[in-house]
Amino acid sequence: MTITDEPANLLSELGLDKQNHATIGRLLGTGSIARATERADGTMEATIRIKEDEVAWDPAVLVLPHGGDLELTVINDDKNTHAALFPSNGDKKFLWLLNHSKGRAKLNLDGPGYYWYSSPGGNDEGRGLTAAIVVLGEVPPEARLDRPDQQRP
Amino acid sequence: MTIEYVDAGEAIDHGALSAITGTAPAVATNVNYDRLLDARSESHNWLTYYGAYDGQRYSLLDQINTENVKSIGPAWMFQAGTSGHIAGASTYAFEACPMVVDGVMYVTGWDGWFWALDAKTGQQLWRYKHAVPFDVSLCCGNVNRGCAVANGKVYFVTPNAHLLALDATNGKVVWEKTTGDVRAGESASMAPLVIKNTLITGGAGGEFGVRGHIDCWDLETGEHLWRTYTVPKPGEPGSETWPADGEAWARGGGNHWVTGTYDPETNLYYAGTGNPAPDFDGAVREGDNLYTDSVVALDVDTGEIKWHYQFTPHDLWDYDSTMEMTLFERDGKKLLGHFDKNGYFFVLDRTNGELQHVTPFVDRIDWGVITRDGKVTPRKYPDKEGEPVHFYPGPAGAKEWTHAAYSPRTDMFYVPVADVGATATRRRREFKEGMPYWGAAVQVDIDDMAGSVSAFDSHGEEKWRWRLDYPMAASVLATAGDLVFAGTPTGEFVALNARTGEKLWEFQCGSGHHSSPSTYSVDGKQYVVVPVGWGGWLEGIIPGMLGAGHGSALIAFALPD
Repeated sequence: MTITDEPANLLSELGLDKQNHATIGRLLGTGSIARATERADGTMEATIRIKEDEVAWDPAVLVLPHGGDLELTVINDDKNTHAALFPSNGDKKFLWLLNHSKGRAKLNLDGPGYYWYSSPGGNDEGRGLTAAIVVLGEVPPEARLDRPDQQRP
Repeated sequence: MTIEYVDAGEAIDHGALSAITGTAPAVATNVNYDRLLDARSESHNWLTYYGAYDGQRYSLLDQINTENVKSIGPAWMFQAGTSGHIAGASTYAFEACPMVVDGVMYVTGWDGWFWALDAKTGQQLWRYKHAVPFDVSLCCGNVNRGCAVANGKVYFVTPNAHLLALDATNGKVVWEKTTGDVRAGESASMAPLVIKNTLITGGAGGEFGVRGHIDCWDLETGEHLWRTYTVPKPGEPGSETWPADGEAWARGGGNHWVTGTYDPETNLYYAGTGNPAPDFDGAVREGDNLYTDSVVALDVDTGEIKWHYQFTPHDLWDYDSTMEMTLFERDGKKLLGHFDKNGYFFVLDRTNGELQHVTPFVDRIDWGVITRDGKVTPRKYPDKEGEPVHFYPGPAGAKEWTHAAYSPRTDMFYVPVADVGATATRRRREFKEGMPYWGAAVQVDIDDMAGSVSAFDSHGEEKWRWRLDYPMAASVLATAGDLVFAGTPTGEFVALNARTGEKLWEFQCGSGHHSSPSTYSVDGKQYVVVPVGWGGWLEGIIPGMLGAGHGSALIAFALPD
């Protein structure tokens, strides 16, 4: 690889974002990015989907504007059975996803920070069914240190 | 074409797919300050982090004693494991001290876990799992050292600096507070302490250049009552020990990340503070750097620092002094004993901080010298940019966070001693919020190390030493059965004769120990319980054991029926 190669082109050229192409599964994190929708009451919603024969979550990265309550619509468009195990304060949340099924998950997450979630069956996680939920924002003002604002990287 | 989807319903709690009952008896309802003041007398329970406010980690239970300890064996085990992608997957460890109240055990784990178990059978009653971000800043490991219990609730902190109060019967959240700023590099791992109707917490982040603080919260509501910063602002008392210009104070560290001790008669909370930041680059923070590497005695009602004693002024070796301040009496005097990372055992008058005496407790000390009157003279320290300097003890110290025990029966302290050196090379770096801020390249020795459980009288004279080839990295427990229990990095859990150091019993637990055992009884039967799960800051504590396996077991030992 030369330093003039663009990583994005190499990704698709090699087929790192496909099943059983460059490698056995699909490299994690090689999918789309999407933002959740914020409702008037500050709760958030989004739809995540397993597309047919991708063995990957779409979007690969779901971005929340802040921490709090998230309502997910979860769709399995695949011809195989999967499941979902989500992080959530209190306990992880489990959803069984039969072929062509649709369900819901209510999560509560802190921010800022990001979390991985997956389909916890077999090696779905390694084949590509691991995705991220990213929470933007800052901690509440009362949790900030009493010092001048500091330079970040 | 419209797709007709099969209805997958709504996601359920993962714990519903297990055998947990979801509820525990309401034993914590009547745990209150009066009971905590006299916690040791409830010898069947372990009501607070150190067993009692004095920090002695000493139990009155003596059913298991020097005569019969050779017969104890596992009564039950609990295991948790880990799955998925967690923060610090390479560094999680089981560092907790289990609390026990009338047959219910409350124990915290890595990554926001909290379990309530039947203390007689090990059956899991309920669990709580906080969602901890994968990218939270952790200097040392994804760990938690324990909880507090009072008024029907249990309290603990999470690696992303949240404080939670849970209903002790079912693990549901009663209230929650954010205690620190994860973007600044703050985290939290210590067991909170209940004092009166309040809860005291500290935080971690000294390796990220945060400004350390100790906080007090209302037990019932979580209302924030006071915060005391351990590094003063310009103009505040102690600020003269930091550069007058610049912002070294704002990034000064001094974190309180191990539970303190408390004397109701002095009304003081004795809190140990951590290293200044950057750990090894002292030139950017000229001065003694108060109140880092100190004990600060706080008025529990106001948070005011009533007195302090600094164990390592202008620290250049990462010699946190957060570890326990053990309270004891001698000749009618109220004293405090502290085995510091810097290799010295300090005894202070806990009413005013006056030094009584200071003595070494480890064989190899060459970073500097502390004379009997407390005068500190540094000898070897990272100074010139790029020049490696080797020193003993290494940055994990002659005793890391893991706790000593004191037995009033024998009038001896039992100490988990670590003897391993390190090389630090100063590598100055600019401060950027959220980035590690050490100021050096550091490598701890992977060989030429030693360790022991050593017994000292209160004047610092060594009475016996049980030796091992590795630095000790787990807390010691002392009992009225004249026993000292300790776990080793290679997995042995041993019982030693408290008077002679003779090993009386041993059990191979399968993973190195890095926790605090406790003891309790149920229906008249005594148990000694120990979390076993190797991990944590191994590259600092014992890199020679970095390749050893993790574990996640909790083992309770008892005599046969």
